[in-house]
Amino acid sequence: MTGAGTVSEFLRRRSTTWILLVPMLAIGVLLHFFGTSLQVNIYTYFCVNLMIVLGLQIFMGNSGILAWTHVGWMGIGAYVSGILSMAPMVKSLGVPNMYPFLVQLQVPHPLIAIAIGGVVAAMVAAVIGWPLMRLSDAAGVITLFATLIVIHVILTQWDNVTNGPRTFFGLEEFTTLPVALVGATLVLLVARWYRESSLGLRLRASRDDRYAAAAIGVSVVQVRYVSFVLSALIAGLAGGTWAHFITSFQPKAFYIVETFMLLSMIVIGGQGSISGAFAGTALVTAAREGLRQVEAGINNAGVFTFEVYGLTELVMAVLMVIVLIWRPNGVIGGQEITWPIIKRRR
Amino acid sequence: MLKVENLYASYGAIRAVHGISLEVAEGELVALLGINGAGKSTTLKAISGVLRPIQGSVMLYGEEIGNRKPEAIVKKGISLVPEGRDIFGGLTVEENLRLGAFASYDRARYKEDLEEMFGLFPILKERFHQAGGLLSGGEQQMLAIARALMSRPKLLMLDEPSLGLSPAMTDQIFELIVTLRERGTTILLVEQNAERALEIVDRAYLLATGSLEFAGTPDEMKRKVDLTSVYLGGDEDETCEVRL
Repeated sequence: MTGAGTVSEFLRRRSTTWILLVPMLAIGVLLHFFGTSLQVNIYTYFCVNLMIVLGLQIFMGNSGILAWTHVGWMGIGAYVSGILSMAPMVKSLGVPNMYPFLVQLQVPHPLIAIAIGGVVAAMVAAVIGWPLMRLSDAAGVITLFATLIVIHVILTQWDNVTNGPRTFFGLEEFTTLPVALVGATLVLLVARWYRESSLGLRLRASRDDRYAAAAIGVSVVQVRYVSFVLSALIAGLAGGTWAHFITSFQPKAFYIVETFMLLSMIVIGGQGSISGAFAGTALVTAAREGLRQVEAGINNAGVFTFEVYGLTELVMAVLMVIVLIWRPNGVIGGQEITWPIIKRRR
Repeated sequence: MLKVENLYASYGAIRAVHGISLEVAEGELVALLGINGAGKSTTLKAISGVLRPIQGSVMLYGEEIGNRKPEAIVKKGISLVPEGRDIFGGLTVEENLRLGAFASYDRARYKEDLEEMFGLFPILKERFHQAGGLLSGGEQQMLAIARALMSRPKLLMLDEPSLGLSPAMTDQIFELIVTLRERGTTILLVEQNAERALEIVDRAYLLATGSLEFAGTPDEMKRKVDLTSVYLGGDEDETCEVRL
């Protein structure tokens, strides 16, 4: 290879990260100093969503397996980090039935709590994933879905830990815009690295053709398992970050509705690439916030005699159908955006 | 180097191979011939570990590998190019090649092998960053072979490399097989095109309904076996006719 070839090759490989990261950080910094509080809030929410969706991409995007459990890991991360970061006083107020030893348990910094939340989610995933990753196709997807239901039932029924179906509240609002930006940046780097790593590559090969992958020596179960646990770790961390942004939540925040929101983000953008997951998250977050304003506007203006409700979900569903027909692999598709963005066709 | 003894393999209840024994020596180019359903592909799958043999032994350099997993067998130095060019269509050419090398990845060696592949298959350099699925049939076959070569196999097994290719492309693939063999690669080739295969191989085995019918050099095979009747059907109950 010539010198120029090596340089352009280097640029090509690294460019995706910069194309995504530079605008994300630039807008974040601008908003931090000049944005309104609503803008800052929306952008923080976008960054947290980005963490969750990129975590989802690590497993689902690379393996092609519909990861129903993802919001479950997020929920585990949220509750664990909440319990660990809250002061005993606040906890006994918010969750009257909590086990006494849990009430006393507090780590000195929310970051430590979020980290432990991620590790706990990953450990649960490591146990559940062991048998589940041996299943494929329909059986695999159904058991993952069933696992989500099990997690949900535990979250709603374990009164002494989660306050049951009632709201769990009183978290410190630790996740500010800078925190979310750092979190999203780290997760983006990990997801980028993972997709290109040997493990990620083998996982993508198994998505393409499981049998061909086995023939060249890929241990499909093993690569799926490792990715499943890594994905759960990031979901747990993202869940903790989310919890310290929202500050009060219920178990139903980690169930079907949220799952579909995440799926629409990753499917609309394109689950096969980091660029796709990123674009989908940006698009859906923007559309969702925009539609919410429209909905409020219509209701306030009294255009109809009844309240307009569910416009967001409706438009998201239509958007998803259109994207699936028009570009089944998502707006961006399975390949990363690289420099130069517009290529001459050969 | 490779010694297969009394190999049995089946798909569930259907037994596809019963009691095949064959040998491949270092540097040899050996063909497995026979009609559809004779058990050729099954034999390759059993050797590569994709299909676990139910009985018999597969020895590589005197070491039993018959019950190993495919990934372990690839590491031992046996690479299979499956029938129908099982390349990864959603991955780029570069990623396909990197996957071939992953079993024993070494950055310097990877670069070196890549240059070698570009020498053998210039088209792959042109298409380096394109998705494998966008390549033509012949190019995909070349990619599949290049991918297998990236693991520096001691034994390369090709399952019907000319399947579905144009005559011109078939010529190219056969030329390539000869080139590879001259480079010192040991090759076990499964081919439908027996006439073409017999022109280039050192020895050939003829399979019929899961067992070995004949083994020998191409000359012996041409002299003693009526290949036309093997492929086009001779007597009703004789799958194959051996003139002794």
